[in-house]
Amino acid sequence: MKRAIELLVIISLILGVSLLLTFASELLVPSKDIRLLALFYLFTAFNPRIEYYTVSSPEVVTAIVWDYRGLDTLFETSVFYLALIAGLALARKLYTETYSGEVVSGGLSTIVKTVTRITAPMIIVVGASIGLHGHLTPGGGFQGGATIAVAPMIFIVVYSTMFLLSKGVSSSRMLLLRSIGLLGIGFTGIAGFLIGLAVNKYAYVFQNLPKPGAEIGLPAYIGNVLISGTLWFFNFFEMLAVAAGFTIAFTVLLLARREG
Amino acid sequence: MIYMYPETIVYLIMAVSSILSVVAVYLAIMERDLVRAVLYSAIQSGLYTILYYFLMAPDIVLVYLPVAVGLIPGVLLILISKTERVEKE
Repeated sequence: MKRAIELLVIISLILGVSLLLTFASELLVPSKDIRLLALFYLFTAFNPRIEYYTVSSPEVVTAIVWDYRGLDTLFETSVFYLALIAGLALARKLYTETYSGEVVSGGLSTIVKTVTRITAPMIIVVGASIGLHGHLTPGGGFQGGATIAVAPMIFIVVYSTMFLLSKGVSSSRMLLLRSIGLLGIGFTGIAGFLIGLAVNKYAYVFQNLPKPGAEIGLPAYIGNVLISGTLWFFNFFEMLAVAAGFTIAFTVLLLARREG
Repeated sequence: MIYMYPETIVYLIMAVSSILSVVAVYLAIMERDLVRAVLYSAIQSGLYTILYYFLMAPDIVLVYLPVAVGLIPGVLLILISKTERVEKE
């Protein structure tokens, strides 16, 4: 009873504040320049007619995240991996990862295990689709990688950590995959610059499509398939790195225990 | 019969889900059993996902759903399994 009254008080408070905000928002009309900013992004994100100012990506959010403010996203990514490295360093002596070869049994019931076996590949496929179509549809590397990382977590819960280890998903291999992802992101970032060095022309670091004054750039199309220059590569490598990073975090968290 | 604009229905769904999310937050804070608190928190995240979807932010939906419903409850459950399940006074 006391809880219900408390909840009622909280909800009425929130409703009152929302009512107040409804009236207050009449006074807070954003200036029209903000609309112009949004229109600029919508106009330039996919527009073949302005060849030197477009990203050729129908998905404006990914275009902003990996092209307009690509360097910011690079540093965001590095913050995430520094946190992961710090976690690994904290747990470095607390876990051993030797699969002893014993028969893995236990876990949840057969029904749950069978359903997991069916659904886990689907989760991975959906995650890969979100990540690889990041420049076409909502989503991107981080979203796809986080979705893929759900699959090993379900396997850990339903089977065991040892089951994953026996299938070869160890944290050292995941570390390798994560490093491949990070190196890929780094090299994609300076790909235009490296090509420019090779053919002795000007190019920017983090260059995507050709820009005025820097004619070097990655192609927007490979064959007839739209890849939007660097965006596809960024999404792909980010997906690898995020999926592997979350898997490392889970296995290490589960295996870490204080010895003696 | 009252005619409802489609926008009104969308706003009603948003209002209901945001109020339900407040209830879920309250239950998650007040619950002594930490496993159930994690479940309430996941319910709250699911309701937030509905809000993000109707606010036309599908990118945030796609990152919020696996992280807040799949990964964070997973990490929290692992941590709870290493300590005690019931919060003490």
